[in-house]
Amino acid sequence: MARSRDLIERFSERLAGLPLVRPRRPESLPIVIDRRRVYVLPTAFGLFLAVMLLAMLLGGLNYNNNPALLLAFLIIAVAHNSLVHAHLTLVGLRLIALHAEPVPAGQPLLLRAAFEASGNRVRAGLELRAGDEEAFLDLMPGERTEVVLALPTQRRGWLALGRLRISTVRPFGLARAWSWLRPESRLLVYPAPEAGVVPLPDPGGDGQSRRTRSHGEQPHHLREYRTGDALRQIAWKSSARADRLLVREYEATAQRELDLDWFTLGTLGHEARIRRLARWVIDAERQGSRYRLRLPLAVIGPGSGAEHRHACLRALALMPDG
Amino acid sequence: MAEPLPSSVRAWCLAAAMACLLPLLLQVQAPLAISLLVVAAAGIAMPRPLPVLVRLLLFASLVGYVLATHGLNLGRDTGCAMLAALLAMKPFETHKLRDARSLLGFSMFAPFAAFLQDQGPASLLLALPAVALLLHALAMLAEQRPGAPAVRLQRQRARTIGVAVVMALPLALAGFWLFPRLGSPLWGLPENTLGRSGLGERMSPDQWVEMFGDDSPALRVRFEGAEPARQDLYWRGQVLWAFDGQTWSRGLSPTPLRGPPGQPRVEPVRYEVSLEPTDRRYLVMLDLPLASPEPGYLRSDYTVASHEPVGQLLKYTGVSSTDTRVATALSPEEERAALSLPAGVNPRMRALAAQWREETADDDVAMVRRALEWIGEDFAYSLSVPPTGRNAVDDFLFETRVGFCQHFSSAFTNLMRAAGIPSRVVLGYAGGYRNRYGDYWVVRRMDAHAWSEVWLRGRGWVRVDPTAAVAPERVLDTVEDLARGEALLPSSFAPLFEIGDWARRNWNDLVLGFNAARQASLLRPLGIDRASGAQLTAAFAVGAGLALALTLWVLVRGRPAPRDPLVRAWQAFTRRLHRAGLAKHPWEAPLSFGERVALALPAQAELLRSLSRRYASWRYAPGELAADDKSRLIAELQRYRPVAANAPPGEHR
Repeated sequence: MARSRDLIERFSERLAGLPLVRPRRPESLPIVIDRRRVYVLPTAFGLFLAVMLLAMLLGGLNYNNNPALLLAFLIIAVAHNSLVHAHLTLVGLRLIALHAEPVPAGQPLLLRAAFEASGNRVRAGLELRAGDEEAFLDLMPGERTEVVLALPTQRRGWLALGRLRISTVRPFGLARAWSWLRPESRLLVYPAPEAGVVPLPDPGGDGQSRRTRSHGEQPHHLREYRTGDALRQIAWKSSARADRLLVREYEATAQRELDLDWFTLGTLGHEARIRRLARWVIDAERQGSRYRLRLPLAVIGPGSGAEHRHACLRALALMPDG
Repeated sequence: MAEPLPSSVRAWCLAAAMACLLPLLLQVQAPLAISLLVVAAAGIAMPRPLPVLVRLLLFASLVGYVLATHGLNLGRDTGCAMLAALLAMKPFETHKLRDARSLLGFSMFAPFAAFLQDQGPASLLLALPAVALLLHALAMLAEQRPGAPAVRLQRQRARTIGVAVVMALPLALAGFWLFPRLGSPLWGLPENTLGRSGLGERMSPDQWVEMFGDDSPALRVRFEGAEPARQDLYWRGQVLWAFDGQTWSRGLSPTPLRGPPGQPRVEPVRYEVSLEPTDRRYLVMLDLPLASPEPGYLRSDYTVASHEPVGQLLKYTGVSSTDTRVATALSPEEERAALSLPAGVNPRMRALAAQWREETADDDVAMVRRALEWIGEDFAYSLSVPPTGRNAVDDFLFETRVGFCQHFSSAFTNLMRAAGIPSRVVLGYAGGYRNRYGDYWVVRRMDAHAWSEVWLRGRGWVRVDPTAAVAPERVLDTVEDLARGEALLPSSFAPLFEIGDWARRNWNDLVLGFNAARQASLLRPLGIDRASGAQLTAAFAVGAGLALALTLWVLVRGRPAPRDPLVRAWQAFTRRLHRAGLAKHPWEAPLSFGERVALALPAQAELLRSLSRRYASWRYAPGELAADDKSRLIAELQRYRPVAANAPPGEHR
């Protein structure tokens, strides 16, 4: 969820570009936050209270008003300790995993970040921020907690994470302690498939139309379920009778394969071709056919299944710009 | 930051603001305080903000009310009342997060403003829970992030705040004691527009009623060495020369005393006074002061004026002698002032004075004695006296013949002046009571007294207290009776009040009296007699550093280690193995860990396996370990020391 930033935050983000700010280079996981990379600055509210406290302190010193001085020093000490507390909330935090399922460009990428902490302090009120997106987490000692950030995507290919910021304003909201994280992880964004009705290309091979027979009449055989088979293919009735999972495999589709060819799309532009091929890949996979993807730099397939789909879409996503 | 405020958060923020407002409300005038409370309650109850115009109108009317109460002058108390009005208006506008933040910021300032008016322990005791509520509201505000899940550690919050305050105490005390103080203020305290009740520079018949009902202490005195007798305890405040028929006023402006002070005929007494704030510019001294105390200067009429109005508790030492010869000559101006009487009033008194003058010829002393005898024969003392008319002195001397110190001193002075003896009225306090717990005297506001001084040739100014001449059997009621009658608690509670006053005096001494001078002698145990600013700063740095180290230690420690001795022994065991290079992974179970280290240290394989097996069965298997089994396991775990991997078996370090 996007949130506006106050003056101090915008200032601190501009400071993040300075060469002295740690981390200086992208780093590999697990990222451990040590005390030298935690920065603490007061929030706008904290500055306002600081001005008030300074006025109270000056007034108390000037008039030698001891109760006022006691109160002022007490509040100043509490505020100072809260800075230390906020600092310690971040020190010892570890980002141990970053994971995101690739999504088509335009859809939000759900980034899963897993955190762990050392020591036996409770770390409450942590905020993870990437760009304009924010997520909140509390860490109990010894537990591993995962948080999800929805990053917007525009282009296909590798998504540069840039800097993540983990911060907290607790316990009193007077100052923000933060640390920058620059994980080296790369996140993949698939190309957006072409919208509208896009028919798959005709398959080569038999020449038999695949729409003439319904599925139940096509020659098929039953085989044992193998890990990775689509749930769609399971023959439930037969499995119930045989008391183990059986999969119906169509011989027709076992032989027929689709050829998704880059070079047959001469009329479309570069990006349009990629989108159409992406759409074809998705439809072919949904249909259950075997398909082969032909690209200028690679040929992938023939095959089917989630892994093959991923390989094809990945190749399409990483196509150089035309 | 225009996010709306959840109602629970708003409730806490308003509670904190009202708690901060309370000590301030106790310092403003009662009717104003009640109206502000009503306004604040209305603001809290209103769920939606009022239109801006209505709010402006309300605020303008509150400001007008405050100014009207304080008479359009801007003094310290006006400022405090304005702040209270501002805070009382704030609940009307507190509906967003941003409003809550500004509310808390201003309410943090309110107790400070209250301390400017009253430094008693009551204000501080009210301010401390207000600060705790304020911190709680701040913590709740910090948790308000849009989209954040609801806080699941609500009890934790209160505990966090308690711990935060307690851990802040060392640093706060280090700052309070060691932060260098200013020897003299950079700018002065603005005066109050409405002065406190007390002795002023006038004596009029109506001012006494309020004073006689006020049993709060006016000053506390501790004598060093011998204490004077009770009948000599006259406390000199102001000297009044001018009489207009009803009211005595200062008349002559006294100048600083030139030349040496009077000759004491008795051993002078030294004493230390702590004067409660009066907002006026005089210091109260024992009759007659011989030297100027620090914060003031001795004047020609032997009263002491202070450089600054006494806005805060003031402590000073004085030297006085109860019997002093002041043999200065009377200047013509003084003589004229000391003999002037208003024309056309009190004819019978004049006639009487003239008659006595004939009878006593030139003998002033006889004149005085005659007047005092007359008082002793015919006059009575009472506090309930009918009001007097135009010829106030005549009415008193010849009609009512009942009165209190105001009447006696006024009439006596008039009589002396009519007889040609220069005389004046002295306003101050008389008596006091001794607090046996603290070994000091308390002079209360109701001990205010007025007496006369007459100038006798060859002897100078001599004190004459006409009220004391009243026969004891004619004392109809005293101030004590009045106090007893109006007191809420019976007089058997007197020891309680004495203890309370003693506690208050200690508060004044220890807390309020801590200033730059006392701070300079704070480092005396370390051998530094008068610490300079640099030394104090260094001491502060050291003290603050120690306090911060303590804080860090507590914070880093986190939760304390588990209590079970067996778990602690197991953790010590794993730590020892960690130091030997065999760290236990967080996900490793005791059994598999035991297996792994047994393989790594074959010399002790049997022992390691046994230890881990027994620990795992205690920890995870159902059923309890027998007590001596458990203690044996603990002992073995604590005794265990890893041996180097390639040492021959049987060799132990």
